[in-house]
Amino acid sequence: MDAVRRRRASPSPPISIILDSGRRHTALSTIRSPRSGSYQGRPTLRRHAGPPLGCEPVTPIAPTHFPAAPARESDGENPNAIRARELQRTFRGGVDAVRGIDLDVARGEIFGFLGPNGAGKTTTVRMLCTLLPPTAGSAHVGELDVVENPAAVRRRIGVALQEIGLDPLQTGRELLELQCGLYGIVGAQARARAQELLELVGLLDAAERRTKTYSGGMKRRLDLASALVHSPDVLFLDEPTTGLDPASRLTIWEEVRRINAQGTTVFLTTQYMEEADQLCDRVAIIDRGVIVAEGTPEELKSQLGHDVVSVELDGADLAATQAAIGELEGLERVVTGRDSLALYLEDGPGSIAEIVRRLDGARIRVGAISVARPSLDDVFLRATGRRLEGDEENHGGRDA
Amino acid sequence: MTEVLLLGRRAVREVIRLPAATVPTLFIPLFFLAVNIGQISKTFPSSTPFLHGQGYVGFQLPVSLMFAVCTATSGLALVTEIDMGYFDKLLVAPIRRASIIFGRLAADMVRGLAVATLVLLVALAFGMQVRSGIPGALVLIVLAALWGVAYAGIGMLVALHTRNVQATNASFLVFFPLLFLTPNFVPFELLTPLMEVLARANPVSYVIEGLRSLVLEGWVLDKLAICCGVILVTGLVLTWLSVRAIDAYDR
Repeated sequence: MDAVRRRRASPSPPISIILDSGRRHTALSTIRSPRSGSYQGRPTLRRHAGPPLGCEPVTPIAPTHFPAAPARESDGENPNAIRARELQRTFRGGVDAVRGIDLDVARGEIFGFLGPNGAGKTTTVRMLCTLLPPTAGSAHVGELDVVENPAAVRRRIGVALQEIGLDPLQTGRELLELQCGLYGIVGAQARARAQELLELVGLLDAAERRTKTYSGGMKRRLDLASALVHSPDVLFLDEPTTGLDPASRLTIWEEVRRINAQGTTVFLTTQYMEEADQLCDRVAIIDRGVIVAEGTPEELKSQLGHDVVSVELDGADLAATQAAIGELEGLERVVTGRDSLALYLEDGPGSIAEIVRRLDGARIRVGAISVARPSLDDVFLRATGRRLEGDEENHGGRDA
Repeated sequence: MTEVLLLGRRAVREVIRLPAATVPTLFIPLFFLAVNIGQISKTFPSSTPFLHGQGYVGFQLPVSLMFAVCTATSGLALVTEIDMGYFDKLLVAPIRRASIIFGRLAADMVRGLAVATLVLLVALAFGMQVRSGIPGALVLIVLAALWGVAYAGIGMLVALHTRNVQATNASFLVFFPLLFLTPNFVPFELLTPLMEVLARANPVSYVIEGLRSLVLEGWVLDKLAICCGVILVTGLVLTWLSVRAIDAYDR
């Protein structure tokens, strides 16, 4: 991590400059272009190192601000692993969970579907997995239509849904062998495959225990293994790390990377920005049933085109601090939170010294100043006007 | 067929590993058997014509068998799976959805055979004899278990339609009118006219009559045929409705 942290004596605040805080762990360095089928260079992703949250509300920008999804194909053979057109689902009572989305997921990529609770992620996954029929539009896995040919689609896909689908009275081994049987793998082959998968997800020691005795992380890994018994072309993971502790989350990430490295396309929904940033080749952000942004994490972040300088007030007066900083070169906007100030600047690191000088001049002492590249959370904020991972404290700010 | 066997084996394993789901269902039939015999056997001694020389326990056994095998266990298992997400795992597998129903019914058959055998053994301990002999006793057990399989459709239907544990559990209440609007304490002829009409309109009456005939009278083919017919038709209708319900689930 190329991070420089500097603490200055009072009254100047501690400063944290994060230029490039971590690189994507996966060995993938190129992806197949959905448009052309050729390989193209892929920018290095930087891990989220955004400003303190708590800077809202802001006026949402139009989705068209973000790069368009890859070129759409209206018909013919589907070169992609997943394709959806105008996919829509309305539930009884007129609730429009998904409102006409288009998706193209290239073969072999990890595609992140990002959004808050209730955005339409799970409904989309359930439609793509043949569990829920679309109200309108179409969806294909490979060349197979999910409505017209659900049985064939099910043979192609593996699914680990948000609610971990395990039978608590069976052992891990029994569950995997049963799952093998449901996919036509029986006898010695089923036993061998179960053994292989138990090894893969590190559950060999717990294989003879009933799954109700497993921890959350173990259950999630077994669920993942059960989705892999038939070596699916496409793996759907619906919020695979929700509710897991950080260590279990990292384990799941590693397993997802390993599965993907073997050629399986992964469609992953998440409400964690870092997860999308770390794992995904491309992401789509869905909000209220509509895709509001799509692209590689780096593309999306670079669209914002600025750094974010965060000032933690730590008791300092917000208005006085803002007035002291005043206008800066390349300042695009200022977003205030309860106890923080986020300055969106063209050149964050280059502006730090001036900000500190102005605060010193006004004899204002603040808690900390940090500068970071925009995060996916910033992308989400710009697209929707809300923070994805925000908490209650993030709802008291104003757009300056 | 393989998938039915696999899912059936899993469901049977579940019955074995969760005795707490089966043992309580034995309490009511055994309790009623003991209480009814204790209260009524003096009123209806073995010389009573409709008892064919046996004690009242032989008359009551089929009612207790009905109590034992008619449960919402499969429905509850299904709705629990829906609740915890395993049901989706099964739905997304490339199997016929009906297999999930048939797998559950396989477990009902095994459970039914076990509890019917136990209730029969208790009745034998009370001094009952099966007039149709050991083959009759075996047929008695099998028919009781089959009725349990047929009846299981009610719980599964409620489970699939409501997706609610409480509603599925409450579906057991359906059985009380079905059981008590029958010649459960006395034969048809001794019921009040209204009760007789209701009892004769109730298909469960004919299942009880068929099972009772094996105990009290021996091989009475017409009663057995009607009993088998009722079990078959009920089973086919409720299973068909359950299969339809699971096929239409989220579609």
